[in-house]
Parts: sequence; structure tokens; C-alpha cells
Amino acid sequence: MRLHSLRARIALVFVVLMLAAQAAAYVVINSVILKNAHQNAEEQLSVAQRVFGQVLRGNSQQLTQAASVAASDFGFREAVATHDSSTVASALQNNGDRIHADVVMLVDLDGKLIAESTGAGHEGMAFAFPHLIKAVAQKGDASSFGVIGGKAYQLVAVPVKAPIVIAWVVMGFAIDDAFAREMSSLASLDVSFLTVDERGHWGVLASSLPEASRVALKNQTQLADDGYATRLVRLHSEGRTVAVLLERSLIQALAPFHRLQSALLLITLLGVIVSIAGSMLTARSVTRPLAALAQFSRRVGHGDYSRPIEVRQHDEIGELASAFNQMQESIVERERRITELAYMDRLTGLPNRALFSDRLQAAVSAATETGRPLSVMMMDLDRFKLVNDTLGHPIGDTLLCEVAKRLQTALLRPTDTVARLGGDEFAVLLPGDDLAAARLVAARMLHALEAPIMIEGQLVDVGASIGIVTYPHHGSDMNVLMRRADIAMYEAKRNNLGHAVYDERHDHNSAERLSLMSELRQAVEHDQLTLYYQPKVDLATHRVKYVEALVRWDHPTRGFVSPDQFIPFAEQTGYIKTVSRWVADKAIAQCAAWQAQGIELAVSVNVSARELIQSTLPETFQTLLDKHGVAPERIWIEITESAIMDDPNHAIETLDRLHALGIRLSIDDFGTGYSSLSYLKRMPVDEIKIDKSFVMGMAQHKDDETIVRSTIDLGHNMGLKVVAEGVETEEMMLQLKALRCDLAQGFHLSRPLPPAKLVDWLDGWRTRNGLAQEISLSA
Amino acid sequence: MTKSRFISLAASFLTLAASVAQAASVRVQVVDQAGAPVADAVVYAVPASGKQPATKPAGAIIDQVKRRFVPLVSVVQTGTSVTFPNKDNIEHDVYSFSPAKRFELNLYHGIPAKPIVFDKPGLVVMGCNIHDEMVAYLLIVDTPWFAKTDAKGAATIENVPADGYRLIAWHYRQVDPDAQPAQKINAAADVSAKFALQLKAPE
Repeated sequence: MRLHSLRARIALVFVVLMLAAQAAAYVVINSVILKNAHQNAEEQLSVAQRVFGQVLRGNSQQLTQAASVAASDFGFREAVATHDSSTVASALQNNGDRIHADVVMLVDLDGKLIAESTGAGHEGMAFAFPHLIKAVAQKGDASSFGVIGGKAYQLVAVPVKAPIVIAWVVMGFAIDDAFAREMSSLASLDVSFLTVDERGHWGVLASSLPEASRVALKNQTQLADDGYATRLVRLHSEGRTVAVLLERSLIQALAPFHRLQSALLLITLLGVIVSIAGSMLTARSVTRPLAALAQFSRRVGHGDYSRPIEVRQHDEIGELASAFNQMQESIVERERRITELAYMDRLTGLPNRALFSDRLQAAVSAATETGRPLSVMMMDLDRFKLVNDTLGHPIGDTLLCEVAKRLQTALLRPTDTVARLGGDEFAVLLPGDDLAAARLVAARMLHALEAPIMIEGQLVDVGASIGIVTYPHHGSDMNVLMRRADIAMYEAKRNNLGHAVYDERHDHNSAERLSLMSELRQAVEHDQLTLYYQPKVDLATHRVKYVEALVRWDHPTRGFVSPDQFIPFAEQTGYIKTVSRWVADKAIAQCAAWQAQGIELAVSVNVSARELIQSTLPETFQTLLDKHGVAPERIWIEITESAIMDDPNHAIETLDRLHALGIRLSIDDFGTGYSSLSYLKRMPVDEIKIDKSFVMGMAQHKDDETIVRSTIDLGHNMGLKVVAEGVETEEMMLQLKALRCDLAQGFHLSRPLPPAKLVDWLDGWRTRNGLAQEISLSA
Repeated sequence: MTKSRFISLAASFLTLAASVAQAASVRVQVVDQAGAPVADAVVYAVPASGKQPATKPAGAIIDQVKRRFVPLVSVVQTGTSVTFPNKDNIEHDVYSFSPAKRFELNLYHGIPAKPIVFDKPGLVVMGCNIHDEMVAYLLIVDTPWFAKTDAKGAATIENVPADGYRLIAWHYRQVDPDAQPAQKINAAADVSAKFALQLKAPE
């Protein structure tokens, strides 16, 4: 049971409350008990003190009575009067024996001993307790305690009258251990008689205690510490102080209370145990249904709605359980709705791509287990875009619905699924069907679509292309199957076949492209790309002022890969950024190298549309220029006209910033991008390059010549240099020269060359045109 | 005034008598330590010459009335017979352990057959054996000239022959029972004396 669980907490609260109550009761009762015990002990002591006083008074009376009897005896009086000492002594003895008195003495009026029963021969000595006699003379009777020869006695005195007082009879009981024991048994506590000697030390005269325990009596404070309630009563005494010490052992006195205490403790413990058990049971009665509810909601959470929770109680928990059941029903209903929405195509009511994927996945799994085949078909409507564009989307949508209906009717079995994947794309799943069966279904589907469809009074003719794959022949992975069906469908469409089965040969391109991408990545990383440079020749002076950098890829196995093959691909994947940066870096580095060799050549690099709208392009170039120490005037950037037209405002902004750096700008493929002249006017360009398709067509087509001529005029009118690309023959060059084109570039002059070869070509070119000296001078 | 005149008359008469019989009166006043008059004090005069009259002393009576000896204090000359009539309707047992005279009259009613003769001088304290509270003091003196003070503490010894005397005072409550306060007097004529006694408080 975790400590934070409700059950533990309920139990804990119960137990703590119970403990607190029990502890409080225990403490209170205990303190009352203890107080009572102490009070009892004190009361016992008080009672004992009273009893003791009573006994002493009784003794005193007994002694007095006996002494009086003796003193009033005629013969005794006569003996005393006649000083017959031996008679007196025997009479004293006799009277003392009658009451077991321990000492009997006769004292004359001068306070001298006349006789004594002990026969110790103290006659004639002074009586030790004159105050006793004085007190009796004054008050009539009195008793006192005194120590005679180390023993304590309770003494009384009685006058002998004849008829006036002629002597005193003194009688006493010894205060000995026997007396102490008698007292002890009367009062049921320990009785000790103590005396104080001249030095103030306590001594024990008699005690009910055994000898061994008497030493402790001399220190009464220690007794209290040892658990005794004591009371010291000083007795009326003459000479040495005599006191009686009453002790009650608190341990004994408390013994019954201790038993009570133990019983109380036991009851408390039992109460706690019972309360723990009770609280746990109570807690369980609450937490069990809660746990059941928790388990139920976990089950619902996992999507198990199989059975509602049983409602047994009619309390709050029962209500909660009912609420849970209602919630479960609502969840089931809503989930059904959501599933419907998630898996259904809203337009056609067919399963959508998600549901198709699920079913295909399930079917593949089932097929793997049973070993049965399955077929998947992808279908795409022919000319649907045309319908949409010409007749409008509502018609297009209605067409799709009609197609969906026809496809559903074309499928015969309920296990077959036709789904709309999006747009005009449909997919069909045929569990259990092999290729032959699939072909039949495809044919049936195409046949279903052959009949023209009437929509809002218009006959729409629609065809379709179907790609077919089968499991396991064309793959065992759902995605592979889908992709290959797609490829087969395109194959069918391309060749207008109606339906086509997947063929690995169709898929060749895709695979090559994929591997090309990763190889391109490797090529950049391992410097497998190289830059070739193609010179631009000034048609007026025949000088070569700058060259265009063109990227070349010499693949280790494929050989030369054309930029047309990988550049568009790089553009699609975004990898062009890396390639462009690599090209710019190399080109600027080469420019710096030539500069170091004394060759004055500006270099132009191509930048794609994607980069043009990338606002960091100027910073990138600035960094590279700084890195290689090249003046910006030596760098040209060529941008295709179409790249600018993708996002003219953004492009112009970037071009402005490049221009501000001092970099020259050139518009590539001019004439193919439908560029607006107003944009051209706003752009900070220095040069336009006429697309080679016009230049190359110039000789055959009058139109092209017109375009070239107009472009050259346009450029010149706007103050721009004009470059002609694709110059392949001497005639073309001469023609361009006649059209006053500024610069020419093409195979006729030079192919793109690696740097070393370019330098050689330049040397040759200069020699051929008598320019060597001049260039070398300017360098 | 009449009284003093009477006394002076009596004195002149006594003087006359003495001159005839040569006798005088001794007037004694007894007070206690506080100066209060003391009753029941005995005063007696012992002749310095030791001459005693040959006359036999008369008898004396000590009654027992309502469990008391009456009188409490008596004084007699040595050799006096004293009778102890019991006037109560209960018996008494009169005794004495005093050295001057030890005797016991066993339980009796009325007048005992024989009086007790006190033939030695000294103090006899008597009690009743069955009634402890009864006590009587009898002082036996060797002289016929004695008197007992009245309630005013005054006593007069009559017919004292002219002679020199030791005048002695006694009281049963004296602090020192053995002390004998005495004065010398000459009884050539009437004489007055005064005693101040140290007494214990009455019990």
C-alpha cells in the first residue's frame, strides 16, 4: 500500500486520531492514577500517624493506669513513706510486671531515684527526665520519650500521695523492634524510631525493618528518591530527640496501579489495532470501487469498450460508476464519428488514404500469414485537370463522385476496397487476387468508365490509367507496393495503355535519381566536382575580359554527368545551396589565383532562383571575397530571367544589395522568361545574355534573327552590354558582330575548359589575334 | 476608733493581769510573698528558757465532714490526744505515714474508741485511705503557746508569760517545708509580730 494512496491516508488519519485520543486518555488516566497513588500513600501515612498517636496515647494511658494503681496501693505508699527501699523496689517490679512495663522507677520529690525495677543500682542518682514530672505536676498526666542506656522508652509519671505527694512513680514501655513491628502491622507500613546524637547524626533506635535495610533510614532525602513516601514525626521527648519515621514504599503502593496501567496500555493497544483494522476496512470499501473505476478508465483509455462497469452501489461511487458508463458510451459514439471523418473522403464517401493504408497494412499482414496473394491498383483519371480548368471545380467534383460510384459498382466483393487518395487519384485493394484477377478487375473498372458521364447537361468523356502490383511478387512492404503501383500507373498513362503491371524497368529512373542525390552529396564533400571556364570574347577588340564558371561532375563510374541532370534535381531537394556555395568559393579562389599569376580575368558564376530569394546571398559573397582577397568588380553573377520572375520584388532587393557590394550582374537566358521590361528597368544589371536557342536559330529563322537584333538594340538602349551565347560557327560570330553584339560565347570560340587549359587557350588566342603584349602589359 | 480604744483598754487590762500573773498577748500578722493575708498559718512561741508549764494539754478534735477533714490545719501541744469523729454517713479510714506519728484508724463510723495521742513534735499529714482527696495537717509543737491565723491572717497567742521566746511561723503550703521562719520576741508586755511567708500556689 503506497503512502500517498487514499487508502493509506484514510487509515493514517483514523489511526492518528485514535492514537491521539487513546494517548490523551492514557495520559490523563495515568496522571490521575499516579496522583491517587501518591494521595493514597500520603493518606496512609496520615492514618498511620493518627493510629500511631492513638497507640502511643493508649500506651501512655495503660502505663499511667498501672502506675496509678501502684501509687495508690496503701502498702506501697506505706513502704514509700517509711523508706522501705527493698519493699518499694519489689512492689515496683510487681506492678510493672502486671502490664509488662519495661521500666519502673520511683523518684523522690528532690528528683532523685529512690528505686528502679531494673536493679541497675542507679538509686540516689538524679532522675533523667525532670520535665516529665513537672509536666505531670502541672497537667495531671503526661508521657514522654527518653533514651535510657541506649534504649528508648515511652515514659509516664504518676505521683505517690500520702495523701500529699511524697514521690513519683515512673513507668515505661521499651520502644524496641517488637513494638515497631507491631506498629508496622497495625498501620501496614514500615515504622522506625530514630534519634539524633550530639553531632546531629541520625541513629536507629528500633525498626520494623530488617537490620540490612536500616542504614538507609539515616538519610531520609535519599529514601524519597528511592521511591518511599515518608513522614517523620518528632515525639515528645526529653534529652535526646526521638522521632518516628513512617515509610510507605511507593513501589508497593503503586503496584495495583501499575497493574491498572498495564491493563490500560493493553486496552489502548487493542484499541489502536482495532482502529487500524477498522480504518483499513473502511478505506478499502472506498478505495476498492475507486480502483475498479480507475482500472475501467484505463481500459477505456486503451480503447476497450467491450463492457460497461458494473454498478453495485447506490452511493456516490455508484453515481460515479454510472457517469463513467455514460462517458464510455459518449466516447464510443464520438470515436465512431471521428473515425468516420478521419477515414472517409468527404467528397465521394469512399475510404480515404488513411483508411486505405490501414486496410492495406492489415491485408499485407493477413496475406503474410495465409500466404495468399493480394493486388493493389492505382488509378488516375486522364484529362481531369482539363475538365477542372475548363468546366470548373463543381463539375470536377461531381465527376469524381460519379467515378467513385462506378468504381464501387465495378468491384464485386465486399472485401475489396476502393479509396480516393486525393485529387483524381484512386486506389483499389483486392485481397486474395493474383495478377490475372487484378487485370480483370482493372479491365472492368476501365469499362465502367467508358460510358460518357452526363453532368449538368454536359457529356464528359473521361478515361483512366491504372497501375497494378501484386503481393508478394512486387514487394511485401505496403509503401513499396503503393509506390510501384504509382510507377506502373504513370507507365500506363505515358504509353496510353489503360492499365499496366509494374515493371522494374519503369522504376529505373527513380532509383538512379535517388542514388545520384547521395552521390552528389559525396561529390561535393570529396571535391569530385570541378569548375570549367568558358571565355566571353569582346567582338570589337577580340579581347577576353572574363570567363563563365561552369560546374562539371566527373563521376568515377558514370563518367561525365551533365549539369542538366543534377542541377534541377539539386534545386528540388534544396541541395543546390551547398553546390552553389561550393561553386562560388572555387570560382573566386580561381580568380584570386589568376590574379596572382598576372592574368586579369573576371569570373561569372550562376546563381539559382532559390538562392536569389535567400537574403543571405550578399553576405555569403562578401565573406568569400574577403576570404580570397578578390575585388568585387571581378565577380559577375548570372541569374536566369525566369529566376527573377518567380519573385521579382524579392529578387530585385537582393540584386540591389549585391550591386551595392560592387558585384556585376548579368541576366542569363534572356528572352525565355517573359520578363517585364518595367522590371528590367528597375534591375541594377550590367549585362544581358541572349538565350542560345535564339542565337543558334538565327541562321535558319528570320524570327530569331529579329529577336536577337531587337534584344541587342534593347540592351544598348538601356545602356547594357549584350552577350550572345551558343556561338558555334564563324558565320554566327560575324553576323553577331554585324548586329553590334558586344560579346560572344560558344564552342566556336572555346568549350568550357579547366583552368590550366584555359590559360593555354588564352595564350593561343592572344597569339592568333596579336593581343599578347597588350594583355601581359595590362596584367 | 472604738476598736483601738477597746484594744488599748484590753492592753491595759492585760498589762494589769501580767503584772498580776505576769502574762502577755502575742499578736501575729501573716502575709504571703504578695502581701496578702494568709489564713491557716500556725504561729507558736517557744520559750528561750525552755520552761514549760506542767499542765497537761487538753484534747483536740479533727472532724470528717463531707469527705473533708475539719479543720484542715490543726496545731496541738506534744502529748495531746486527738479524736477523729466521722460525721459522714460513709466510712473513713484515717491514716498517717508521717514520722511524727504513724497510725491508722481502720474503717469506721462515728467516734473511734480511742483518741490518738501525738507524743512527738512534728508534722503529721493525714489522709483517708479510701478518699484520696482528703487531707489534714496537724502540727505538734512543744509549747502550749500557739495560735492559727484567721481569714485576715491574724492570730493572737494569749497568756504568754513574760519571757523571751522564739516565735515561729508555719504553713502547709510553704515553698520550703523545712524552713522555719522565726523571730525573737520578748513577752514582757503585749507584743506584735509579722511574718511574710513564701507559699506555693494552692492546688
